[in-house]
Amino acid sequence: MSEIETKETFASGEYKYGFVTDIEADEAPKGLNEDIIRFISAKKNEPEWMLEWRLKAYRWWTTRKEPRWALLDYPEIDYQDIRYYSAPKKMIDRFKNEDGEIDPEISKTFERLGIPLGEAKRLEGVAVDAVFDSVSVATSHQEMLEEMGIIFCPISEAIIKHPDLIKKYMGAVVPHTDNYFASLNSAVFTDGSFVYVPKGVKCPVELSTYFRINAQDTGQFERTLIIADEGAYVSYLEGCTAPMRDTNQLHAAVVELIAMDNAEIKYATIQNWYAGDEKGRGGIYNFVTKRGHCRGRKSKISWTQVEAGAAITWKYPSCILEGDGSTGEFYSVAVTNNRMQADTGTKMIHVGNNTKSTIVSKGISCDESVNTYRGLVQVVPGAKGCRNYSICDSMLVGDKCSANTVPYIEAEDSTAIIEHEATTSKISEDQLFYIKSRGIDEESAINLVVNGFCKDVFKKLPLEFAVEATKLLEIKLEGSIG
Amino acid sequence: MNTQMEAEKREENIPGFDAGAFEQLVLTDAEASIAARQKAFERYLGLPAPRAVDEEWRRTSPQMFPFDKVQLLPVIPAGKYVAGPNDSLFDIVVSVSADGFGVQDASGLLADGKVKVMGLSEAAEQEPGLMAQYLDGKAIGEEAGKFEALNSAFWNFGLLVRIEPNVVLERGILVRCDVESEAGAFVPRLVLSSGAQSSATVVECTGNSPDSAVICVSTKEMYVEDGAVLKVISLQELNDQSAHLANDWARVERNATIEWIGLNFGSRLVKARIACDVAGEGSAAELDGLFFTHGEQHVDQKTLQIHSSPNTYSRLLYKGAVNDESHSVYQGIIVAKPGAVKVDAYQTNNNLVLSDSARADTIPGLLIDADDLKCSHGATIGNLDEDQLFYLRSRGISQDEARKVVINGFYDEVAQRIPYEFIRDRVHAYVQERG
Repeated sequence: MSEIETKETFASGEYKYGFVTDIEADEAPKGLNEDIIRFISAKKNEPEWMLEWRLKAYRWWTTRKEPRWALLDYPEIDYQDIRYYSAPKKMIDRFKNEDGEIDPEISKTFERLGIPLGEAKRLEGVAVDAVFDSVSVATSHQEMLEEMGIIFCPISEAIIKHPDLIKKYMGAVVPHTDNYFASLNSAVFTDGSFVYVPKGVKCPVELSTYFRINAQDTGQFERTLIIADEGAYVSYLEGCTAPMRDTNQLHAAVVELIAMDNAEIKYATIQNWYAGDEKGRGGIYNFVTKRGHCRGRKSKISWTQVEAGAAITWKYPSCILEGDGSTGEFYSVAVTNNRMQADTGTKMIHVGNNTKSTIVSKGISCDESVNTYRGLVQVVPGAKGCRNYSICDSMLVGDKCSANTVPYIEAEDSTAIIEHEATTSKISEDQLFYIKSRGIDEESAINLVVNGFCKDVFKKLPLEFAVEATKLLEIKLEGSIG
Repeated sequence: MNTQMEAEKREENIPGFDAGAFEQLVLTDAEASIAARQKAFERYLGLPAPRAVDEEWRRTSPQMFPFDKVQLLPVIPAGKYVAGPNDSLFDIVVSVSADGFGVQDASGLLADGKVKVMGLSEAAEQEPGLMAQYLDGKAIGEEAGKFEALNSAFWNFGLLVRIEPNVVLERGILVRCDVESEAGAFVPRLVLSSGAQSSATVVECTGNSPDSAVICVSTKEMYVEDGAVLKVISLQELNDQSAHLANDWARVERNATIEWIGLNFGSRLVKARIACDVAGEGSAAELDGLFFTHGEQHVDQKTLQIHSSPNTYSRLLYKGAVNDESHSVYQGIIVAKPGAVKVDAYQTNNNLVLSDSARADTIPGLLIDADDLKCSHGATIGNLDEDQLFYLRSRGISQDEARKVVINGFYDEVAQRIPYEFIRDRVHAYVQERG
């Protein structure tokens, strides 16, 4: 584990991932039309059917309007002012060249982020796929995973190498008609990860993708698809950062998870996109559709997220619990400071009998931020013996912030048992006093209380991530107090 | 970018509530209240009609209300008091029917000037000073919607109940509405005003006989002035052919308290907003509610607990059961306005789903714009506890009886707060009939 100790963390006092890497990029012109989609598809050497799929999504997208129901306030997005494709120039030949060399500049970028790409410095126990703007630059541990039959590769590679799996599963959970941002993603997605774990295989390492936005005025549209076949197990981690810029950048991702009989997928995110400065200038607009489908009996999907960045977050990782006895879990910590706005939560749709779901959401709002939990628990008619337990707690630090909780609960079966609890309160004076009376300064005391508040979620994260999440929280709270 | 929703042609007025109907209604009303109606009517014309795609109406489409089948009833004039079975329990009774409303003053409170009860038109003539405070709907803390404006313009029964400062009522006031009509729109507007340091209980019962069918679009405005205590119990028992649209607001001033129990048992279709602004420092609200839907009933209730001042308290408990093919919707919102510190707010909604075709939706919400407060909500949806049923059955109680005992127990937390036995009996009767 020595590598992990020396590894840099996501968190630091200033937003230290705000640097820009100076590389030559191969870019599409700004704007969006069918030609741009053809351009992206051609860049990726995609087969005809993929292009058709993208165009279908694009045509649907043009008929829709951007959703505005969330408690978010942001100016009109000009979709024609965004660059939908940007790739480091030296990487273009990646799929032609077997051992494609990685631009040393990019390699350095990921090292600064704490993601060494060189095989020698590879993280122990974690296989990493690193995505830089629109393309995936490196995937580690591939051979070892291949031996076990596990496919872990950039999605653009999977489209070429595993067209059958892609045709079967892409869009099966989040169809291109799902929502405005998902259909935009379906039309222009550039990269992301693809994971397939075959029957009975328990993936021995944590799979991880690291997303990085570098180029200016570029949107990042990644698409991740994870399939766990019968009895399989996989744990997946995702991290994100972006440079500091005064303009807003758009990130619209789609993540689809599919779990067959007795399979289990754990999906953890630490999202630390650049959130803008204290005046609310700049930052990433994060519009993400994440959904898991528990198809098989007794399957399990677990979402864990730490949302600490992005100027705007619009994200509802959900579970469709179709298989009898399947389980969905959602653990979330959302921290907002300065002028950040987050509208996040989950949807648990109980379709199968005896399905269970747990929701634990912790929101911390500081400064002038707006932090909203929005969720749905639905039991469809005929789904017997379903059980849900939700707890949504909000903590207020500062007097200009807002904390909102908007859960929707719909039960259409008499055997369902659903419990929901929510609280909103100021950070407890009593607890702070108790800690301070033992000689601990105020800032550390607040950190202790907030960490305790988030503990239920952090303990669900893999160890290294939990350590980083704790640090990240500490930084976000710095200066918000007093 | 034409979506289906936009393509839909929209009629902005509620059927039957247009300029013609307004002119006709005004003819039957007193001169003094016409100006206010006229203003409200213009506001009404300017507002968009609610649509099924609006978040507020997503679960109860405005199209479900058969306005095209009803006729607006003329203004109900002052008339004769008609006695009812529980009238002896109250100091003052107002009986309301389509023919007229009458007042009984058993304790001589009206004669002594301690309480004022009069029609709104009469109040506009006799008490212009008092009415001026209420005409702009100060209790209504949100932008008026189409139906609120409709009520302000088209009300055909208006009543002012004013309890003078420092008056304490021992037995309370009963307002009993029994409007018979084959197909009429009943638009009541009730203004309750509790003077400073006064204390009173007001019971409002709304019902109709089995062969009538009405749409009731009601508004209730309640003003609880400094240090006053107002207890309100609203029992809605309209029959299965009727529909009820309610928009009830309370404004609670400094150190005053409202205790408000809403019993929405009747009507085929209910869309009610129950809103309370604890507006003065140190004010408190205790809000309770019960409902029990059966058959094809659809009951949609939205509660708002608004905290616009520091040091305010509100507690809400709504309990309901859904049976047969009925559908209940509960939406609750706690709002803490900026600067409302030291707020305590609680909201609980418990639901029993008794049949597989029944459906209960619950949407508890918190919208908090202040720090230094404690707010919480809890919501549960479940079925009858098997252990409790087994316990009762093992003591020789039939399955059917055991169910009713458990449901009565479930309701008891709210029912025991009702200070009148005849109303508690109504709750038990509904459990007996629908359980």
